[in-house]
Amino acid sequence: MTITSVRTDVAALARDVVKIYGRGETAVRALDGATLSIPAGRFTAVMGPSGSGKSTLMHVMAGLDTVDEGQVLIGDTDLGRLSERQRTLLRRDHVGFVFQSFNLVPTLTAAENIVLPLTLAGRRADQAWIDEIVAMLGLGDRLRHRPAELSGGQQQRVAVARALAARPRIVFADEPTGNLDSRAGEALLGFLRHAAHELGQTIVMVTHDANAAAYADRVAHFADGRVVAVTGDEGK
Amino acid sequence: MWKLIIRNTVARRGRLALTLLAVLLGVTFVTGSLVLTDTSRRLLDDQFRTAAAGVDLTIRDAAAFDSAMGVEVERDPLPAEVADRVRAVPGVAAATPVVRGRGLIGVGGKTIVPAGPSLLLSWEPAPVGPFTLRAGRAPAAGGEVVIDAATARRHRIGLGTEVTVRAERAERLRVVGLAGFGSGEGLPETTVALVTLPEAQRLLALGGDYSEVDVVAADGTDVRRLRSAVAAALGSGYEVSASRDVAAASAAAAKTQISSLQMMLLALAAAALLVGAFLIANTFSIVVTQRTRELAVLRAAGATGAQVMRSVLGEALLVGLAASAAGTGLGVACAAGLRDLAGVFGMTLPDGGLVVTPRTFVVAFVVGVGVTVSSAFGPARRAAAVAPVEAMRRSSADRLSGRAGWGRTVTGAVLTALGAAGLSIVLAGPGSVVVLGEAAVSTVVGLALLGPAVTPGLVRLLGRPLGVAGVPGRLARESAARSPRRTSATALALAFGLALVSFTTVLGTSIKESTARSYAETITADYVVESARNEMLGGLPAHVYHHVGELPQVAVASRLRYGHWKDGQSVEALTAIDPVTLPRVTSLHMVAGRLDAVAGGGVVLAANVAKERNLKVGDTLAMTFSRTGVQRLPVVGLLRDRDAQALSTGYVISLDTYERNYREHVDASVFVKVADGVSRADAKRAIERALADAPTAQVRDQAAAVAGRNAMIDQVLGLVSVLLMLTVLIALLGITNTLALSIIERTGELGLLRAVGMTGAQMRWMIRGEAVLVAALAIVAGVGLGVAFAAGTVAALGRTVEATLTVPVGQLLLVVAVAALAGLLAGLLPARRAARLDVLTAIATS
Repeated sequence: MTITSVRTDVAALARDVVKIYGRGETAVRALDGATLSIPAGRFTAVMGPSGSGKSTLMHVMAGLDTVDEGQVLIGDTDLGRLSERQRTLLRRDHVGFVFQSFNLVPTLTAAENIVLPLTLAGRRADQAWIDEIVAMLGLGDRLRHRPAELSGGQQQRVAVARALAARPRIVFADEPTGNLDSRAGEALLGFLRHAAHELGQTIVMVTHDANAAAYADRVAHFADGRVVAVTGDEGK
Repeated sequence: MWKLIIRNTVARRGRLALTLLAVLLGVTFVTGSLVLTDTSRRLLDDQFRTAAAGVDLTIRDAAAFDSAMGVEVERDPLPAEVADRVRAVPGVAAATPVVRGRGLIGVGGKTIVPAGPSLLLSWEPAPVGPFTLRAGRAPAAGGEVVIDAATARRHRIGLGTEVTVRAERAERLRVVGLAGFGSGEGLPETTVALVTLPEAQRLLALGGDYSEVDVVAADGTDVRRLRSAVAAALGSGYEVSASRDVAAASAAAAKTQISSLQMMLLALAAAALLVGAFLIANTFSIVVTQRTRELAVLRAAGATGAQVMRSVLGEALLVGLAASAAGTGLGVACAAGLRDLAGVFGMTLPDGGLVVTPRTFVVAFVVGVGVTVSSAFGPARRAAAVAPVEAMRRSSADRLSGRAGWGRTVTGAVLTALGAAGLSIVLAGPGSVVVLGEAAVSTVVGLALLGPAVTPGLVRLLGRPLGVAGVPGRLARESAARSPRRTSATALALAFGLALVSFTTVLGTSIKESTARSYAETITADYVVESARNEMLGGLPAHVYHHVGELPQVAVASRLRYGHWKDGQSVEALTAIDPVTLPRVTSLHMVAGRLDAVAGGGVVLAANVAKERNLKVGDTLAMTFSRTGVQRLPVVGLLRDRDAQALSTGYVISLDTYERNYREHVDASVFVKVADGVSRADAKRAIERALADAPTAQVRDQAAAVAGRNAMIDQVLGLVSVLLMLTVLIALLGITNTLALSIIERTGELGLLRAVGMTGAQMRWMIRGEAVLVAALAIVAGVGLGVAFAAGTVAALGRTVEATLTVPVGQLLLVVAVAALAGLLAGLLPARRAARLDVLTAIATS
């Protein structure tokens, strides 16, 4: 019997994270010792009812917010040691986002929105890579349009393209299908899974919808500020 | 309903704060102007009433009019026997002869030159004399003087000090007393020397004559009847007036300057309020847009359109009331500051307790509330038009950002074109200042209407350089272009302020340059002796001319005098010259007739005056002089306009004619030609030595003489520019306000930008870039308009006076730089707020 290393690369890690909003009697423990490891190159869903703290978990793991206790790592970087500016730069260079709505800057065209994080960083886009994503998402003929001229599904696909454009270590998607009809939603989830499997992109999706979570490789079940179970391809 | 309105207003106080500030500043300005001018008027009234308080009738030599352009006319003195004849009239308790004139006080070899007059009066105890002793005693003999306590304190003059009093003659007098005036220590910006009657007659070279006779009526005598009796006893050569009327007339003369100051201040306040109105309309329109859903919910809940409209107008009413109340208070407090400011720019106003009339309150509130409510009217109407179904729709802000309506654009284009056409007509020749005014109004209204349609294009053009700054720059440009109505309203407010600033700068510079040019071309004298005080009639003592003329270093000395005359109700100025010597110190060009013909008692007119009055050589002109009444002068020549301008008026008579018709005997200028073989420097030293006994006289070369003429323009220009800065400041508040409101509206978008990696610094640059871009738009429009209409005004003026357009590039660049920098400043606060937005909250808001 040969022993091979089963250790998968970890793209991000939250360890015993506590986040408290408010003070005194009105204090709310949004995260209460949450621990979650995100394997690289996989599509992970964080599922739970609204108010369970799953969005807060995403925010602290993405460096949008700080933690009160515990540790958050992206790659080898401990977010707790970073300044606000360093966290901004880390987001710009290593994290992609897809929000539920209001994903795009209305004054920029689809193409400009896609390369926005790169242009903010003053980096040149890898055109071949951008072309590949655009082709995959079927946005080729919409690039010169402004967000107001795109359908909801198209807007979310532009958002996905933007999230992938800088080849981030990790993409966070917060209820990306929340505002879409079921057909557009399914298409978008298909794209996310495709990005993980074919392009090796690490993706974390927060959702309360079990149907959406079913597209993921792994599902972390979240309740009362902590991960209560992880199901899916772990150990396969 | 009111409960809701009040709650809404209070809840949105942050968004309305800057609006409130804009109205407040405008109202402060209005109140301050009114309080200041009311106070000055009241103080002048009090002063002259005090001066005449103890006297019933005043007898003076008859004059056709009392004052012109704020200057009281000088009258012939009264012979000594007048007082005796008056005393003989039954009912006269006392008839006191009084001498009044001008006399400078000198102490320790230095002459005191106050900003106001230097009075020399014969001392009379109360009730005839208005002065009361504060220390020492009254002057009892020649060689003694009482001075006002204020001057004594300021110049450390004590009892027993020797001072020089310089009138027609100069004498050394010993101070034996200090006097106060009414409840005060003296008169504002004035020195007062009180001497015995014979001493005053000596100093003023009056012989045995008096300036006036003051009459106190016997107890129980009817003053009106007494007046008729005295008038009948004296005959028509003398004027018998109720002293109260004399005081009122003197006060009215002194108030002329205040009226023009008030007009100027109120015009500037109106400009500030107009800019404020733009800001208010913009704020309310943004707030209404942001509240569309809330308004729709109200409508869905059963509110009628009229109720919604009333709720918005109600908010405006509250803002207007609050701002007016605060502005009125602040304005009263600022009135004194405004007086100091006017003082800095050479306008002396009396100092004393502030007068706040009910009218001031009424005007302040009507203006403050009126401007606010009427500016909110448009947005309120749009609010009323919000349909209930819009409550169900999402993100209404984007949709309502305000594309220009078709009709509005066409109207705007037509009005702008009309304005431009009017301006070109004036520039091309035939148009008048009236046409220009109409063109200006049409252009401003036209641009306000056209603004939203042309703004996106202009913003993208002007914002091109911002593209260099990468995405933040591009985003700044696009967000300015995205809400054209908002951007154009914000920019127009600033543009209006900047247009006024550049207009006054260009116009003032052009007039000054034209004066300098016409003076340089016409006056060939080496030196000009003038009074440093820039009085209306010049104010140079007559002996200066004689002293200077007698110097061996001087080849020619020629003097000018100014005088006022009346043509019906309107007051005109004239210049008196010596037709023999003037051609040797000037280069004058006659259009018709001859200059030396004025020696025969005729008048030479400036060519444009002759054209305007339809007069030619050989016609006669009826002129009313204060001393001699209506005189018919033959027109003997027409002078080129530029030369007339260098001589300061459009009417030229000889000094002999002047002597016959005027009592005034101060010179305005003495032109000097240096003798052959004498160096200019030597000549100047000799002249200065000869002026030792005329402390206010100055020897000026051509540049200094021009500067002296332009000093008045500089003063007005300085005051106007400083006050216009307030208008610009309000407009800048507008930029801050619009940006702050648009940040609230764009919270989601800004949060997204931060989430995907825009740094705080990049975000700050983006917002500041937008602010600067709005400022740039305003600069282009404002400076362009200002210069264009200044050119039009110069062209219109050019038909009556010599005026050519001079564009002060340096000063305009300064205006541009200051405005751009101010735009950057206006963006600082919103930029900081944007950069500090919490990313999570921002995302959650969307």
